[in-house]
Amino acid sequence: MNPAALIPTPDAIPVPWGWFYVLLIVTFLLHILVMNAMLGGGIITLISALRGGQDNIMLGKEFSYKWPYTVAFAVNMGVAPLLFVQVLYGQFIYSSSILMAVWWLSIIGLLILAYYAVYLFDFKFEALGGLRILVIEFAVVIMLIIAFFFSNNMTLMVQPEKWLAYFRDGSGTLLNLSDPTLFPRYFHMVVGAVAVAGLYLALIGHFRFTKSKVDRDALITKGLKYFTYATGIQIVLGLIFLVTLPKNIMMLFMGGSGYGTLLLLLGLVLGIVAFWFGSRNQLAKASISTLVLLVVMILIRDLVRTAYLEPYFSMSDLAVRPEYSPLIFFLVVFVAGLAMIAYMLKLAFSCRKEVTK
Amino acid sequence: MNYPVWDLTTFGGGFLIALIAVVHVLVSHFAVGGGAYLVMLEKQAYKNENAGLLDYVKKHSKFFLLVTMVFGGLTGVGIWWTIALLNPAATSSLIHIFVFGWAAEWVFFVGEIVALFIYFYTFGRMDRKNHMLIGWLYFFCAWMSLFLINGIIDFMLTPGAWIENQNFWSGFFNPTFWPSLVFRTGLSLVLCGVFGFVTAAFLKDEKLRRSVMRTCALWVAAPFALMLLGGWWYLAALPEAQKAMIMGKSPELGVYMQTLLWFLPILFFASMIMALRLPQGFKKGFCFAIVAIALVYFGAFEFVREGARRPFIVYDHMYSNQVYVADLPAVQQAGFLASAKWVEHKEVTDDNLIAVGRDLFKLQCSACHSVGGVLNNIRPLVAKYDSVFGMDAQLDGLGKLNTYMPPFMGTRAERWALANYIVHGPDLRIVREITPQQSVHEAAGH
Repeated sequence: MNPAALIPTPDAIPVPWGWFYVLLIVTFLLHILVMNAMLGGGIITLISALRGGQDNIMLGKEFSYKWPYTVAFAVNMGVAPLLFVQVLYGQFIYSSSILMAVWWLSIIGLLILAYYAVYLFDFKFEALGGLRILVIEFAVVIMLIIAFFFSNNMTLMVQPEKWLAYFRDGSGTLLNLSDPTLFPRYFHMVVGAVAVAGLYLALIGHFRFTKSKVDRDALITKGLKYFTYATGIQIVLGLIFLVTLPKNIMMLFMGGSGYGTLLLLLGLVLGIVAFWFGSRNQLAKASISTLVLLVVMILIRDLVRTAYLEPYFSMSDLAVRPEYSPLIFFLVVFVAGLAMIAYMLKLAFSCRKEVTK
Repeated sequence: MNYPVWDLTTFGGGFLIALIAVVHVLVSHFAVGGGAYLVMLEKQAYKNENAGLLDYVKKHSKFFLLVTMVFGGLTGVGIWWTIALLNPAATSSLIHIFVFGWAAEWVFFVGEIVALFIYFYTFGRMDRKNHMLIGWLYFFCAWMSLFLINGIIDFMLTPGAWIENQNFWSGFFNPTFWPSLVFRTGLSLVLCGVFGFVTAAFLKDEKLRRSVMRTCALWVAAPFALMLLGGWWYLAALPEAQKAMIMGKSPELGVYMQTLLWFLPILFFASMIMALRLPQGFKKGFCFAIVAIALVYFGAFEFVREGARRPFIVYDHMYSNQVYVADLPAVQQAGFLASAKWVEHKEVTDDNLIAVGRDLFKLQCSACHSVGGVLNNIRPLVAKYDSVFGMDAQLDGLGKLNTYMPPFMGTRAERWALANYIVHGPDLRIVREITPQQSVHEAAGH
């Protein structure tokens, strides 16, 4: 059976694909930033709790205040890219999700459990005492499992040739375990999350966003240390991920495509630069280079997806049935919404000085 | 047809979506009205300098945060994930038609979360006027979410002029948009009272408890009228076909309609009981009973609303089993197997009757029929058919005699295969003697 024959016919889009592509990249960046703070922050808190000591406990306490926000916004900021990816690649992601439906749907239940664990950790930090580690482990393990399901689906959706497995088993319990890129990709995402979360903690210390009595300098130093180590590992993991890609795709980044090669070079240089700044405790420079690095990495990730799907589909294949007024409506809501959120944050921060807790 | 079908059997027939949707709608409507409830009580507490009431509002806002933001927010995402797994074609259709409606809804979702966090974490620290403003902004964002999703949900029931002009706004402001908005707004306010009972019942101060209980009873009673008005208008705005479907055309909708009509007054009177002077111990238990009553009532409503659009998932646009109405003639012409993507066999032969029938059942029937499950169990429905002829004739009548189901889609030979699978297949048979099958060619001649 020809796998291409399985790919569903996509629906038409209301404006040219470029709009959705930009929206996808931008909102995915937002999602990654918050998701990394959530997952990586959890991992750092777990490591700290296991190592013990006053500094480490205080780091956990500080993060306990932040963790619920990160979960709420990781979900919230995840909604938008999931919407735009369904607009551009719906025929792929719906199909692959069904093949692994049991795991995919379980994410919702797992996330609810992790979310309540995170709130337990926040609201009952002192009362939990020794049980704290268990609660962190519970939440972090769940988040790691969810991340694993995501890596499975993101790799399965771009490989229709693997979909034939459905005819052996349609019960929705398939995973993409035989894919050589699966684990390198997964660990690349997880370790990356630790790096970004390290920066996040350091920035909290730097901008005095602390709520606990954590020593700000210690928070900055620790955060940067996690960032630097994780970034170092990340460079190696990234290269492993690169060589596990199918040869034709890997070669795109090694001369096969000018754009791909440039992106990879930029990524490598930025990675080394960020690592360097991190090791020198230069927080601002490390943060900026990491932000640019993340954009480059997201573009690389997208190029990989495009390359995988190249034999089957290109975004420009999508039929356009032009209708611009809903887009304008959205843009107006978006700008007005940002203004409203900025105003609310201004009100919130103006009463920060009265914090007594 | 276009997409693979998740083989659920027992949990099929829409069970998963019913499960997650019913709990989500209750909490999500509470999330809308709850914003107004919190701020109005907060205002009352400031006005009367009532520290006890203010403390209650603060505690209720924590309950509200944990119930609506965590459970409500995630089950909302959960509905989207579930429909994408159970009916990807319809999900894709709704996503593509209304992408910027969804995107705008996402903006309000962000606003809602930011506002709720600020409201909760600055309680007692922010200047009173600004704090209430944040509460109102929360309510506005939450209500706008309702406004946007309401348009898309009602589009599925009554797409109106969209069918002809395919215009976003025609589909969004469809014939049941406004009545449904009134109904849901009323309901979301009623639910504040319902959930308010839960937190109020555990207040220690008796005087405060009694006063909050009465306030909650009022929150149920006053918007009840708005909800009834919306409900009546909703029914009146339904086109004839959809109305007929609710009023008895579909065999099992009657139960849900009855439940809805019974639980409506029960919800009202049970809530009024909470305003009476009764022991706290009783109220601590009874408040949960009221939540359960609201769940049954609203669940029944959602079942009726979803049932009203049979045999479609999007009225006049797509059948429940994911086949576009416009594609039907071509499918009838070419055959289902030739048109479908996710089928193993591309034609019917004497040797693959059961296997083909199984595929056809999965792709055409399993969206609404479970196999041995709770929802629309197929087994008892087909138990009386002991001959393939009888079953085949019944399948032929679908969409003609009983219009709450789509017609059988495919060739005669395909229909024969499905009839064979239903009568002789290993999955659906209860206990039945095997009768010899007829060959495809003979069947095609009938």
